[in-house]
Amino acid sequence: MKKKKNVYKKHHIVIIAFLTVFSLIMMYPMAWMLMTSFKSNADIQINKTKFFPEKWTIEGYRTAFEKAPIAQWFINSILVVIVVTAAVIITSTLIGYVFAKYEFKGKKVLFVLLLATMMVPPQVTMIPRYLMIQEMHLFNTIGALIVPGLISAFSIYMARQFIADVPDSLCEAAKIDGAGPFRIYWSVILPNIKPAIGSIGIFTAMMNWNDYLNPLLMLNDMEKMTLPLGLVIFDTQRVADMSATMAAASMMMMPMIIIFVVFQKQFVKGMTMSGIK
Amino acid sequence: MKNNRFVACVLIPSVIFLLIFAVFPVAYGLGISFYDYNPTSSYNEFLGLENYKRLLTDEVFWIAVKNTIIFCVVAVTANIVITLFLAKIISVLPSKGMKTFFRTILFIPCIAPIVGTSMVWKYGMVGTDGGLLNRILGLMGMPPRNWFLTTWQLLAIIIVYTLWADIGYNVVLFTAGIEGVPKEFDEAAAIDGAGPVRRFVSIKLPLMSRTFAFVAIMTMANYFQMFAQFQVFAPDGGRSNSAMVLTNYIYKTSFSSYDMGYASAVAAALFMIVFIVAMIQNKMMHADWSYE
Repeated sequence: MKKKKNVYKKHHIVIIAFLTVFSLIMMYPMAWMLMTSFKSNADIQINKTKFFPEKWTIEGYRTAFEKAPIAQWFINSILVVIVVTAAVIITSTLIGYVFAKYEFKGKKVLFVLLLATMMVPPQVTMIPRYLMIQEMHLFNTIGALIVPGLISAFSIYMARQFIADVPDSLCEAAKIDGAGPFRIYWSVILPNIKPAIGSIGIFTAMMNWNDYLNPLLMLNDMEKMTLPLGLVIFDTQRVADMSATMAAASMMMMPMIIIFVVFQKQFVKGMTMSGIK
Repeated sequence: MKNNRFVACVLIPSVIFLLIFAVFPVAYGLGISFYDYNPTSSYNEFLGLENYKRLLTDEVFWIAVKNTIIFCVVAVTANIVITLFLAKIISVLPSKGMKTFFRTILFIPCIAPIVGTSMVWKYGMVGTDGGLLNRILGLMGMPPRNWFLTTWQLLAIIIVYTLWADIGYNVVLFTAGIEGVPKEFDEAAAIDGAGPVRRFVSIKLPLMSRTFAFVAIMTMANYFQMFAQFQVFAPDGGRSNSAMVLTNYIYKTSFSSYDMGYASAVAAALFMIVFIVAMIQNKMMHADWSYE
């Protein structure tokens, strides 16, 4: 028995060693980005093989703030994420509730249609969407990112799956007590699907924070851009300024990464729930 | 429950919204694909199937089809093999804290936007001057190379980058799937004398087929849509279009040359390919996607 235990440990050490090396490799690009952002451009040119900065400096961050409207990009990104996420949470749970708990004509057809819209890659419709946004006079406004995002088929699908698991008896009991459909939604359904709301929110926020295609299509002016698009424009305008580019990249990525590390339990729970479902 | 007024109040606006922003663009795009469409010109000639005929003889289009398929098949296969392996060895670890730690580390690249991390790779990993790849070549006594001027190597680099950026997702999903399989099955097989690899392949994998189908379909659907990293690594498609994929080709044709009619035909082709692949996968995996 004792011997067997020892063999087990050995095999764990091998795995841990392997995973540690693998994790270090995985982390290298991020670490390189952070280190480069704290180097001066001269330092980057001269000490090509050095990992750590010769002399730590926030020159790159200062340049990034001076030469580009980074603060504005932050505000734009945050605005889009907050409005779209809040809207999607409301619309997807409400529509999911109707699909999960109500009987009506054409339900099946509508739901299949909904699933079908999920299958269309956004690149397939990028030209018509670009033309439509222009027609709607939303081009080059933050509305071009917000309005089409207010309802998401994928989130409706997810919400429906979770709401279907809320026992019908709860809804019926509330109905007998005189609660209207909206009241049931608010005080029976929503409190029972809190984890689902969390994961829909996380997904939506992440997707919008990281989105590059839509801003690329719909925005033109520097001041209107969100962070990912701004970063690319910044990079093309300041090719030689590696320190500032990496400073901008770090500022874009670090908030999300820190939020993730702090809330990683909820992230992982939300993800796996949507996956296993 | 039944309440037609409430259902109508919720569904009518939502359906109208989805018709405008999700269904109509598909039809609109299909319509445009029959025209010589340029948003800046006042007259757009109807071409019929001319744009589709042009696809057949367009060399770049076929290169893009080939690259898209190579990218998806290689990257999805590699992704699933690597993530299953990582998920398996992580699930073997004895302490919960350790499992969480490694999963968190592997997931960090997924949190960051693809444009951002591609840019980090473009300079830090594959950069000609001081990129890690060239430094490794240097250690082996070889001269540095400009990887952006290579042909298949650039596509290979984009695949490796994509794996780096994306494996965290599937590791998390697979670890959950592996942990969802009851231990009794595994122990019973162990008593019957099955080794760890055998147990994994014949017991765990079939029992987590739902997770497996979900991951495979989502990853494939996702990889067909990859765009940002191609924009960063090879905005023009790379040397002799060696890293041109369909998404990038649609973008380039419509927004650099404003040939939106033809680009819409390419988009229709992409849609067809995605659709066919989804159908095949659906058949192969028997995934229950349908309405319950």
